Amino acid sequence: MFEINYLLLVLVIIMLLSVVARRGIARIMTALLSLVIFAFVLMNNMNYTFNYSNIGILSLVFQLNFVSSILLLLLSFVGIYISIRFKATPGFQILTQFLMISLVGLFTTRDFIIFYIFWEMVLIPTFFMIGMWGGKNKDYAAMKFFIYTHVGSVFMLLGIFTMYFQEGASTFNMNSLISGLNNIPEVYQAFVLFGFIFAFLIKLPSVPFHSWLPDTYVESPSEGTVLISSLLSKMGAFGLLILFIPLYLNSTFSNSPVIAEIIIALGIFSLLYSSFVALYQNDMKRMMSYASVGHMAFITIAVGGFLYLVTTNSSDIIAEKLLFYGAVFQLISHGIIISMIFSLVDTTEKATGTRLISSMGGIARKLPGLSFLILAAFLASVAIPGFSGFVGEISILLGSYAVLKYYLVLVLLGVVLTASYHMFALQRSIFGPYNEYLGDIKANKNELYAAILPLALIFILGIYPAILFGFFNLANLPFMGVLP
Amino acid sequence: MDIQQWLVFLIFGLPLISFPFVIGVGYIKKNLSMYLGTAVIFVSFLIGLYVFFNYTVNGIVISASVNWLPNLPISIPVGIYADNLAMIMVLMVSFVGFLIILFSVGYMAEDPRRHVFFGEMVLFTSSMLGLVLASSLLMLFIFWELVGLCSYLLIGFWYYKPNAASAAKKAFIVTRVGDVFFIAGIGAAILYSQGAALSVANIKAGASVIPYVWQRTIVSLLLFGGAIGKSAQFPLHVWIPDAMEGPTTVSALIHAATMVTAGVYLIARTYTIFTPLSLAVVLYIGVFTIILSGLIGLVVNDIKRILAYSTISQIGYMVAALGLGLGATSIGLSIYQLESHAFFKALLFLSAGAILHALLNTRDINKMGGLWKKMPVTITAMFIGALALSGFPLTAGFFSKDSIISASYSVNEIAWVLLATGGFLTSLYTFRLFFKIALGKPKTFAAEHAHEAGILMLIPIVILAVFSLIFGLFQNGFYTFLGGAKATITSLDAIPAVLMLVGMGIAYYAYGRESTIPEKVAKASGFLYRLVKSKFYLDVLFTNVIAERVVLGFSAVMDGFERRILDGLINTWGYIFKNAGLSLRKIQTGLARQYALIILIGLFLALLLLRVLMYLGVFH
Repeated sequence: MFEINYLLLVLVIIMLLSVVARRGIARIMTALLSLVIFAFVLMNNMNYTFNYSNIGILSLVFQLNFVSSILLLLLSFVGIYISIRFKATPGFQILTQFLMISLVGLFTTRDFIIFYIFWEMVLIPTFFMIGMWGGKNKDYAAMKFFIYTHVGSVFMLLGIFTMYFQEGASTFNMNSLISGLNNIPEVYQAFVLFGFIFAFLIKLPSVPFHSWLPDTYVESPSEGTVLISSLLSKMGAFGLLILFIPLYLNSTFSNSPVIAEIIIALGIFSLLYSSFVALYQNDMKRMMSYASVGHMAFITIAVGGFLYLVTTNSSDIIAEKLLFYGAVFQLISHGIIISMIFSLVDTTEKATGTRLISSMGGIARKLPGLSFLILAAFLASVAIPGFSGFVGEISILLGSYAVLKYYLVLVLLGVVLTASYHMFALQRSIFGPYNEYLGDIKANKNELYAAILPLALIFILGIYPAILFGFFNLANLPFMGVLP
Repeated sequence: MDIQQWLVFLIFGLPLISFPFVIGVGYIKKNLSMYLGTAVIFVSFLIGLYVFFNYTVNGIVISASVNWLPNLPISIPVGIYADNLAMIMVLMVSFVGFLIILFSVGYMAEDPRRHVFFGEMVLFTSSMLGLVLASSLLMLFIFWELVGLCSYLLIGFWYYKPNAASAAKKAFIVTRVGDVFFIAGIGAAILYSQGAALSVANIKAGASVIPYVWQRTIVSLLLFGGAIGKSAQFPLHVWIPDAMEGPTTVSALIHAATMVTAGVYLIARTYTIFTPLSLAVVLYIGVFTIILSGLIGLVVNDIKRILAYSTISQIGYMVAALGLGLGATSIGLSIYQLESHAFFKALLFLSAGAILHALLNTRDINKMGGLWKKMPVTITAMFIGALALSGFPLTAGFFSKDSIISASYSVNEIAWVLLATGGFLTSLYTFRLFFKIALGKPKTFAAEHAHEAGILMLIPIVILAVFSLIFGLFQNGFYTFLGGAKATITSLDAIPAVLMLVGMGIAYYAYGRESTIPEKVAKASGFLYRLVKSKFYLDVLFTNVIAERVVLGFSAVMDGFERRILDGLINTWGYIFKNAGLSLRKIQTGLARQYALIILIGLFLALLLLRVLMYLGVFH
């Protein structure tokens, strides 16, 4: 049995090794770290609870559940991909490893204080990544990212303490605190729910709490953008799926769908807003940041729709499951697609010397390989069947008809707009007549070969999505409507 | 799985699996891709024939389904469902697909990226076959999107042409508008039937799979929304004319014979859940599209765009036939028109392709003329195609279209009048096109030096011409095979035939010889002419108003809001805290006397506050 305490120990040892080792080793260590995490998930059958004794008020319970296993798989993919694709400095690699260790803790713990500690620990390496290796506006972006997301987590901390003191609990164990939520006054319950959803929506991010995202994504170095976009945004989604849903269903608000409706409205607004803004962007990286917001909006809609169905006792099991599993699938699919896209944008920028769509044009003529990969990544992002983006999106869309009825037309408008800005960008950047001002351009071959890894995963997950769910004995898993 | 299930799977599975190899061998030798691609589709056709004659004609429906997401507690079937309707479509798609790909071997012989072209054509054909053989709405949608993707890639095949890149984008986005309605339709079908209506077999078994009429109306109208986008019916027809920027063989295969009829197939496939209300919508959209695109077809000068508008109008007949609501007879009428249209429209596009090949890609019919003498085989085949398209008696189009017009008489007389008028328009624009190309004197140097295409390109043209002539023989067998009533020719059928001949005569009178009549008519009709010439301003509305002004303008506003207001608000918070810190810093002077003074003032204020509070009764 590969226990989690050994895992964290091994991971920290690997990180320390890369701190003391010579140049070049750190990159291999990142890959090794990812492989260890991958092995850990596989060896525990992706579903296991580790119970250690309490230390004072901290309860050392770690759980590998459905969502966290999938996120750890994504984590190990991103780690391997980063180490293959980018030649980052050892310092950056160590920060990456630190980030990954924090995320392992975050996704597995069942204690609110430990969860909060890891939640904040993630900010530290990210802050330095942006601040040290970022673009020309890096100081501003790093500070904005740090403060903005920190504001959210403060409210989450207040929510945690409210639960702890109001319930008079002895530990910060999630299960006991969540199940005791309905015993405290309603005002406090509302505050707890607000604190959590506020933190998660900022991290996800959902419009209107997304202002940190475009600056962060654009100013980060490309490897940092890949990490932040594919992993950090999943923290919010993880929180929504694993913490907010049980919190909400255990509160006394669980028989009114109002909060669920607000979440759906935010999700739809987020999708439409980000699509409209993305349509006008000229910087490809900035455009794809908004695309990322749009993809995460599907998860918001799915969570809201799921809560709506459960709170209204619709007993529409099919729609509930489509929404929930669609959201989980969207997590991993978005993580892979967006890391592929941002690394391709990086390759394009290095080849053509620009990220501006208007300065490109017809690069398919000179760089057919790169253009094919960009086309594939964009089609995956538009959710064409055969690519993994399709599975999550179609599940969420099909499921949300049961919730939204004719309001679904707003979501569908968002889907059309998503297709529009992708196609619009493709037409102006890789198709059309070749922009002779670019001169003779060449793409780095190794970077193109590296993109085959995510592309292969996108195809595998898109053509046979059952492979992901096949690992789990889903029929025996407690469904998320009840406490995990 | 049994052998027959494997065979049906191979019909679309073989090309689907082999399409990467078709592209791959192109990197060894480009011509290998062409031969492999053609061979694969031919094998597909042969398997289809085998299955058809061994199983389908004996009434055996082959179906097999697996759960797309096993381990999930819900069942989302994907698989094959090969009944009469599907197998008839399979034969048509693979046969016409094979002929067009054979034609492409000659047509694309000099293109440097022809291996990619053939790969994409094979992927398209397999997706189309998968679409017709799909056993569930979800699988149908998957292939529905894949054919759309291939259409996007193939329209933009010559991506370095700005028009092609723009047309590809337009086609993708406009059909996407339809597709999202399809998604909503599937979502509604799942909700109202607890997932049962996902399966094509359950839908075919009867309307009761979705319990209530209003639910069926919603589902069927949403599905019809998808069909409108894909089959280019009003108002989403605007993408097809632009899509003509792709290679002509692509237009023949995708935008005439197969993909654009997928919407018709979808309606036929889910026909049981269409309620009278949604059928009326289907009928009127179809009829309206026929008239609208027939009129536009009269004034366009681009040879391929005339054919594109004609395609829109002919699909209108298929849609209208379904909208008549005659049950299996409607399906028979519609699918028969679909197949005969596939033959003669593919024929017309291929002969147009041969003409473009000879005329160095001149597409303006005013720059042609006198080609009958230069390219006798091609133009004679085109003549047959034109006769069939306009419904000349005893050609394929006569049996398919006139039957629809006659059948509509007993259902809806307004529709009958409009459908017959549409037939008149069809023959008018068809022979305007034909006479301008074939008769008269060559207008340009290129037209003077036109020559017949190679034998490889003529074979498919001749085969299609033969089918356009004799397809009428199969009419009765076709209807009964699909479970409809037998066709009867009545005196009613004479009216559309006469109208067709009148249209042909007018076309000859105005365009078949030197004449100034068209200019005079154009001048006399003034505003009407400008209205039709500008395509009823629909393109202007969609592209220039909605896309460029409204959507892009709104997105510019949103971008400004994002940068200035929302981001400005966040930065203002930061600014406030930063400046508060800067100004409060000034209190920290470090002078002990000042601190002592502030302490004294603070003490005084605190005591005063205490006193006031006690006076108010807060403390005692």
